[in-house]
Amino acid sequence: MGDYVWFHDVSWHASYAVYFFIIGIVAGLSFLSYGSWITPALRPLREKAAYGSIALLALGSLLLIADLSQPLRFLNILNPAYLHFTSPLAWGSLNIVAFGVVSVLYILALVKRDESARTKLLATAAALLALGLPVYTGYDLTVHQSRPVWNTPIMPVLFVALAIASGSAVGSLLAAGNEAARRVLHQYLLWSTAAVGVILISILGTTNYGGAAEELTFIILTTGTMGLVFVGIGILAGTAAPVALLLAPFGKQQGGLIVASVLVLVGSAALRYALLMGPQQLQTLY
Amino acid sequence: MSEELRVSPIETRGVAGKKRYAMVVDTRRCIGCMACQVACKAEYDTPLGVNRTWVPYKVVGKYPAVKKQFLPRLCNHCDDPPCVRNCPVEATFKVEDGGFVLQRYERCIGCRSCMAACPYNARFMLPSHRTYTPITNVVDKCTFCFHRVTQNLVPACVQTCIGRSRVFGDLNDPASEVSYLVATNATQVLRPEQGTKPHVFYIGADRNATEFGRDAYRKPDVMELERAAFKNHFKI
Repeated sequence: MGDYVWFHDVSWHASYAVYFFIIGIVAGLSFLSYGSWITPALRPLREKAAYGSIALLALGSLLLIADLSQPLRFLNILNPAYLHFTSPLAWGSLNIVAFGVVSVLYILALVKRDESARTKLLATAAALLALGLPVYTGYDLTVHQSRPVWNTPIMPVLFVALAIASGSAVGSLLAAGNEAARRVLHQYLLWSTAAVGVILISILGTTNYGGAAEELTFIILTTGTMGLVFVGIGILAGTAAPVALLLAPFGKQQGGLIVASVLVLVGSAALRYALLMGPQQLQTLY
Repeated sequence: MSEELRVSPIETRGVAGKKRYAMVVDTRRCIGCMACQVACKAEYDTPLGVNRTWVPYKVVGKYPAVKKQFLPRLCNHCDDPPCVRNCPVEATFKVEDGGFVLQRYERCIGCRSCMAACPYNARFMLPSHRTYTPITNVVDKCTFCFHRVTQNLVPACVQTCIGRSRVFGDLNDPASEVSYLVATNATQVLRPEQGTKPHVFYIGADRNATEFGRDAYRKPDVMELERAAFKNHFKI
C-alpha cells in the first residue's frame, strides 16, 4: 500500500526457454550418436540421433536469432573485432558454430557410410562440443550475480543432466521397437532424471535458506501459476513420476519407457521455463 | 585515496589523472516533483513505458504521521559494471576517464544480456516506436549525460533538480562537492552486496527505501495481473 512501483520488464522471455529445451535435446542426441560407437546396443540410433541433432540445431539457432531485437546483427557476435570473451554468450556462439561445422562433417561421413576411425573421431568431437551447449546455457544464467537460483554454480551441471535426460527421452521414442537399445536408454533416462531431481532439491534447499531475495524467489517458484509449472509439472510430473515409473516393472517395458520419456520431455520443458522466468520476477520489482 | 580497495583493473577509484564521475542524491531534499524524470525524457526523447531515471516512492510512518519517501533511480555507472562483462559484442563499455558506462547503439544485437546482468534495472529495450529519434530496438540506459558533462555542463536531471537533491562531480577530485558530501555524510549505495561499486550515492536512504518493496511480498498472481495491466497501458 502506498508504494509507487515501476514495473520493469523481464530481460529474457519464454522463447529463450524454448531454445534451452531444444539445445538440450540437440546435445542429448549428439551424446547418443557418439554413444553408439562405444555401446553396440545403441547402433540403430546413430544416424537418427545425428540427423535429429542437426535439424534441431538449425531450428534452435533460428529461434535464438529471432529472439534478438536486432536479428540481422547476429553476425556481430561472430565478428572477431567485436567478440568479448568475458561474456558466456560469446563463448556459446563460438561453441554453436563449431558444433554445427563438426556435426555437418560427421553427417557427411555417415551419409557415405564411412565407419572408419576418422568418423568416430568426428563423433567424439561433436559430443564434446555438444557438452559445451548445456554448459554454456547454464553458465549464461550462473554469471548473473543478482539473480537468485540462476547464480548457483550447479546450474551448468543441471543443464547437462537435463540434456542427457531429454536426449535419452527422444532416443527412447526413436528406438521404440529395439529391445537392446531400450534397455540401455532405460538406464540413461533413469539416472539422468534422478540426477535432475537431486540437483533441484539442492537448489530449492539453498534458495529457501538464502537472503530476502532468495526466499521471495522461492515463494514465486513454488506458489501460484509458476508453482504449478515448476513443482507440479516440472518436479512431480516431469521428474519424480518418471523416476518412479522407470523403477517399477512396467517402466522396463516399451509402453512404460515411452510414457516416462514423454513425461521427462514435458517436465524438462516446464523446468527450463520456470528456472528462466521465475528468478526474473522479483528483480522486475526492484 | 584508497587504491588498495580496487579489486578489478576496470576500476578507477583513486587513479591519478583519471576522473571518476559520481552523483550524490540527498533524499532529504527530494520533494518528488519528477522534474528530473521529465528533463531526462526531454533530453533524450525517451519513449513511453521506459525511463533512464525514475523516482519511485514508499509511504512510511503511521497515520497521521506519514510521509512519502522518494528514491530517485538511474544507472549507477558502476566502477565494476556487470553489464560490461556480460555484453558479447562490447556494445556496452566503460569510459576509462570519467567512468561513464555507455552503449554503442550500432553494435548492440539486442540479446538483453546486459539487462539481465544489471542489479538495478537501469537498462531497458527501446521500443520500435519513437517520436523523433531513429534509434530503436536496442538496449538503452542513462549516460550520466556524457554529451553535456564533456562540455562542462551537469546532467539534465541535476540541472533541473529544484531541491538540489542531485549533485554531480568528480569523486577523484578531493575538492569537488560530491567528494565533500561523500566524506562528510553517511551515504548508502544500492545493493552493495553485489560488488558493483556504484557511483550513485544516497544520503538519507534507509533500508526501508533501498530493499525490495512491499509488492514483492504479495501473491505472485496478483503481481502478474498488475504487471499485465501496466504493460497493456503503455503498449509494451
